[in-house]
Amino acid sequence: MSSPGSTDVGRSLAVHMTVNGRPITRVAGAHFTLLRWLRDVAGVTDPKYGCGEGICGSCTVLVDGAAVSSCLVLAAQVDGAEVATASGLCEPDGSLGPLQRAFHEHHAAQCGFCTPGMLMAAAAMLADGRPRSRAEIRSELHGNLCRCTGYGPIVDAVEAAQRAVRAASGPTGPTASAEAAR
Amino acid sequence: MFTRPFRYERAERLAEASDLLRRYGEDAKVIAGGQSLMPLINLGLAAPHVVIDISRADQDGGPRTIGSDNGYLTIGTLVTHSRLAADQVAARMQPLLGAAAARIGNSRVRNRGTLGGSLAHSDPAAELPLAMVALGAEYEVSNGEQARYIRAEEFHLGFLTTPLEADELIISARVPSLGPGWGWAFQEFSRRDGDFALAAAAALVRSSGGAIVESRVAVGGVNDRPVRLADIEIALTGATTEEAADRFGAIRGIDPVSDTGASAAYRAHLAQVLVKRTVIEACQRSEAAHV
Repeated sequence: MSSPGSTDVGRSLAVHMTVNGRPITRVAGAHFTLLRWLRDVAGVTDPKYGCGEGICGSCTVLVDGAAVSSCLVLAAQVDGAEVATASGLCEPDGSLGPLQRAFHEHHAAQCGFCTPGMLMAAAAMLADGRPRSRAEIRSELHGNLCRCTGYGPIVDAVEAAQRAVRAASGPTGPTASAEAAR
Repeated sequence: MFTRPFRYERAERLAEASDLLRRYGEDAKVIAGGQSLMPLINLGLAAPHVVIDISRADQDGGPRTIGSDNGYLTIGTLVTHSRLAADQVAARMQPLLGAAAARIGNSRVRNRGTLGGSLAHSDPAAELPLAMVALGAEYEVSNGEQARYIRAEEFHLGFLTTPLEADELIISARVPSLGPGWGWAFQEFSRRDGDFALAAAAALVRSSGGAIVESRVAVGGVNDRPVRLADIEIALTGATTEEAADRFGAIRGIDPVSDTGASAAYRAHLAQVLVKRTVIEACQRSEAAHV
């Protein structure tokens, strides 16, 4: 604990994070949210500021593997964390990853504002071995708002991405069991 | 998003947070998951001078554990809603609680939001305060020097209002386990999935030989706090599952608000429907428990 005093209200502090595999240390205001730290300080601009209340999901990132609203977490709270954002879903050579490709192929983005959050909500599901059904995709994505697509193409894209990921992971991840679970 | 700057203090232990609260007084706010405080800060509705972070306190300690203690389920204040919803001990000892936790907000809210944060925030439409009142839980609160227990019904005093002293934090909740033969149910209704409930209900029923012997029923979202419905509990005694829904009419003792979300009359109607549905569901679980 340090001594109180109005002079250091809002003082800056150094926060270190690994963002999409890249270690980043930046000094910023202690009151900065993770979203503001990523966008305005670290230059990682794919998460978007939508509502500021945790409703719209456009700022969704993964912190140590769990989906969070980056606008509702202080950067200082997650100092040292591994953060994943939508731009980190690409392949090592920079081409689109399976989720990104599925969104592209299924026209799951229109204006694109919700897309980085949708991708990370979907990425959290896939990393968790889900979804088990189309209904589960719809249920999980209720925390991410899209005002363009009507959601159908997004749900299609997540299903397609899951099939692609399972097909790529070979005989240990057969599509058959996913179909059976439906 | 461009919040007023504040001083950030990280407490390594909950007791240290109480020290900091004594030092900074009313200018300070405690943050754990931040799922209630950060929206208020982002929208400019709260502008604390000091934010005391307990989210990393007691890394391996009691505030993060879910355990069983002499027939009680104990849940540490920093347990997230996601963990509570998925926890096997909690599911075995008091399944209603995990079911209530699973209905909170969306997965992002559940991944960060904590038990103590939700209870101390005391939103009248929140799931966990309602579940705790229905279950007859009590909260351990402490200022780092002295601990005391407060019953859930005496803790949720009104809209965002609790008897917590300025330097006190919730440490844990103590929840009686589901007794043999009891059934449970938790239901809520909101305009959109993940939105605040317009009304919610929790019911616990113990039936024997097809008739209700005892019950505990509570509603949320319709008053400035979750309320237990003693009249309905009395009316239900002796009813069969088929009769249960007809044993009471409009719910007395509630005072719903009219706002842009719903009219008071609609909230009262929802409360009645949800109480009937939860009582029936709890009856069915109670009867299944006898088989």
